[in-house]
Amino acid sequence: MKMIVGGAFQGKTRIAEKIFSLRADDIINGAVCSIEECYSAVCIKNYHELIRRIMNNNIDPVEFTQKLCSENPEAVIIMDEIGCGIIPIEKNERIYRELTGRSGCIIAENSDLVIRVCCGIMTVIKGEINEDKIYSSRKNIGES
Amino acid sequence: MMTLITGGSKSGKSRYAEKIPDTFTGKKIYIATMRPYGDEAADAIIRHRKMRSGKGFETVEQYTDIHRISLPADCSILLECMGNLCANEMFTDGAVCDPTEKIITGVIHLKKIASELIIVTNETGSDGISYESGTQKYISVLGEINRQLAAIADNVIECVYGIPVALKGEVLC
Repeated sequence: MKMIVGGAFQGKTRIAEKIFSLRADDIINGAVCSIEECYSAVCIKNYHELIRRIMNNNIDPVEFTQKLCSENPEAVIIMDEIGCGIIPIEKNERIYRELTGRSGCIIAENSDLVIRVCCGIMTVIKGEINEDKIYSSRKNIGES
Repeated sequence: MMTLITGGSKSGKSRYAEKIPDTFTGKKIYIATMRPYGDEAADAIIRHRKMRSGKGFETVEQYTDIHRISLPADCSILLECMGNLCANEMFTDGAVCDPTEKIITGVIHLKKIASELIIVTNETGSDGISYESGTQKYISVLGEINRQLAAIADNVIECVYGIPVALKGEVLC
C-alpha cells in the first residue's frame, strides 16, 4: 500500500496524482463512495471520512481497514491527520479519533511508502520513492 | 540520553516509546501520570498495561510532583504522558496554575537519575479550534513545556500513524 497523510487542505491529493500518475477517475472519495468500491479502488481519498461513515453504520473501522489491506494491497490511501488537538467532549468524537488513529496505524504499517504533506510540500516518512512503487498502481489498472 | 516523543492522540506514540527500552539491560521504570477517573481512563489504562506486559516495566503511579520521585540510579524511565501530568498540575485544586517551572524541574531531576529518559507528550495545538480560556491556557502551557523539553532532549520524535519521524537527533528504533 501507499499512504499520504497530513492536515486538511495541504495538497495531499495533488501530490498523490503527481507521484502515482493518477487520473481523476482513479480516485474515489471516502466521503461518498460505497464500501465495495474500496476493495478495487486505485486510490481512496478522505479515508478519515470513510471511517466516520462506516462507524455510523456500525461497522468496525479497524476490522474493515485490516480487510482492505489484505484485499487491496496496492491501494493509495489519502487521509487527514486528525489527532492533534484537545480530547473532544463528545464521546462519539473521542471514539472516532481513536478508531481513525488505529486504522491509520494499520495502513501505515502495511504501506511500503508513506508521504506526509504540509503546505503542499511532501516529506517521505517511510520507504522511498522509486519507479516501481510509483507505477505499480497504474500497472494494476493495465492488468485488469 | 533523553528522548521526547510527541504526536497527536492515537498516533502510536506509546507503542513506539515502549519499544525503545527493549535494548536496555538496567531497571525499567514506567511513570504513569493518568488518574484513573471514569470508564474511558480505566479502559486506556488497561490497554496500556496490556501493551506493556511482558516488557519488564515496573510501574510507578505519580499524578503530580514528579520532582519527589526517588528511583535507583541508572534506571531507564518512561514517563507517560506529559499531557496528563500538565492537566493534573494545572487543574487539580480548583484554581488554574502554570506548572511549567515545576514540571521542568521535575524532568531535570529524573534526567539526572536515569541513564535513559523517555517522555511521551501530546500535540494539542493543531486542530484550529478556539476553546474557552481554561483549555486555551492548557494548550499554551503544554506548548511551552514541550518547547522547553525539546530544548533539553537529545532526540525529539514525532509519531505519525505509528511512524517515528525525527525532529531532533535520531530515530532510535
